Amino acid sequence: MTPIFDLNLLLTGTYHDWLLSGLITSLSLTGISLALALHLAIIIALVRLSPVKLLQWSGFAFVEAIRNVPLLAHMLFWYFGAPELLPTALREWLYARNVEATSAIIALTLYTAAYMSEDVRSGIRSIPGQQFEAARALGFSFVASMRLVVLPQALRVTIPPLISQTLNLWKDTSIATVIGVAELMYQAAKVESASFRSFEAFAFASACYLGMSLLITGAAAWYQGRFPVRAA
Amino acid sequence: MNLRNKILAAVLALVAFVGGTAHADQLADIKKKGEIVVGVLGTDEPNSFIDPKTREIVGYDVDLAKAIARKLGVKLTLKQLAVAARVPELEQGRVDLLAASLTHNKEREAKIDFSLTTFITGQKVLVRKDSNITSVPQLAGKKVLTVKGGTQEPNLRKAVPTAEVVTFETTGQAFVALQQGKGVGYVNDEVSILADYAKLGPAQKDFLILPQNLSIEPLALGIRKGEPALKKVVDDTLRELEKSGEAEKLFFKWYGNDSKIKFQVRPFKIESDKVDS
Repeated sequence: MTPIFDLNLLLTGTYHDWLLSGLITSLSLTGISLALALHLAIIIALVRLSPVKLLQWSGFAFVEAIRNVPLLAHMLFWYFGAPELLPTALREWLYARNVEATSAIIALTLYTAAYMSEDVRSGIRSIPGQQFEAARALGFSFVASMRLVVLPQALRVTIPPLISQTLNLWKDTSIATVIGVAELMYQAAKVESASFRSFEAFAFASACYLGMSLLITGAAAWYQGRFPVRAA
Repeated sequence: MNLRNKILAAVLALVAFVGGTAHADQLADIKKKGEIVVGVLGTDEPNSFIDPKTREIVGYDVDLAKAIARKLGVKLTLKQLAVAARVPELEQGRVDLLAASLTHNKEREAKIDFSLTTFITGQKVLVRKDSNITSVPQLAGKKVLTVKGGTQEPNLRKAVPTAEVVTFETTGQAFVALQQGKGVGYVNDEVSILADYAKLGPAQKDFLILPQNLSIEPLALGIRKGEPALKKVVDDTLRELEKSGEAEKLFFKWYGNDSKIKFQVRPFKIESDKVDS
């Protein structure tokens, strides 16, 4: 008789390989989306703080449009909807590649960037406006004042909420299972339907999500201890 | 077994015990409630799907469930389930019976019981003609789409181990992905493939159903383990339907000339609850 909890299933063999490849895919999704979302978030925050009304408005519209629609809908749109609007040649090129992961990364990046941009914007607003004015008075351009004076201070304040958004991003990767990305939840479900060992498969997935989340939380705690927020 | 595993085993055994005794006799419970909850897919024409006119779930599986509710003299409540959720929902007692395009196989017998076989179908592959694929082995290394949690994925993996399988929550999503060209093939039960193929309309010329079966799938109703009284009523109802000719009528109603499938003959009878594999 097989044991109630078959640890061996998780340590060796095909199911182990499936779950491990799922974990790696989830980590890659998180890593790539985080790198892209961070850059996009800073751009959106700057756009929203720019002196040009049209830019401010479009930044606002982007953030609200993305934040107010569930991630599941984003995933389905970027997989089933958006690629169909591409020209035929480009679409066929994309479909011959890993369109599942690409769509998931686009959805995760936009979704995470919308939240992160709000954190970056609050960080920038926490730096007294006189610093920006002083930089401008010394002849720095808008972009240079931001890059050299405001952002280095603002990002320091922003890191803790950004780490918290990274934690959300890590868990959000599990939604990509609905568009067939072979991430951790997908592989756990695959192990379940092949072996009926639901308990082991989802215990593994849960342990990975929990373990990684705790690491991220630990990083946030460490950062706050090492680089406490300075009074500006 | 170390101490941690022992504690875990004890907890699980306790859960199983409590869960088991709460439903000492499911048949009595159903009669007492005056209601039988039957799990269906609602996304798999013609077994159970939503009628676009009435917005109600109808189909072959649904008619079988109706006959059983009538026999018991109770109200029928349908509950729509995802393919992967069927067996767990039944095991945990959230549905009394499954009528959800459920394949009866040996692996699943360890988990749940099955009624007499209500339908026999094969699993097939629908491919895009522009892929130039004409037989199952040619799917090696190609992207093939299907649904999560059914027998489709394991069967395909058995037939073509190197195929790259991508799965979705419903068969409908996998079929849309095929139409959009996100894979070269789509695996499903033959009857569902035929219904989907019929929906393609003029686009049929771009698609091909591979003649070879991936597997033979006996479909049956799912019953929780250790409920002989309920199983007897279900099987008796099915036998009566077969004897009165009603079962054959239902077959032709959903699979015959008036349907999208257009089967001319009924290649099986409802008589056995044994399967070969």
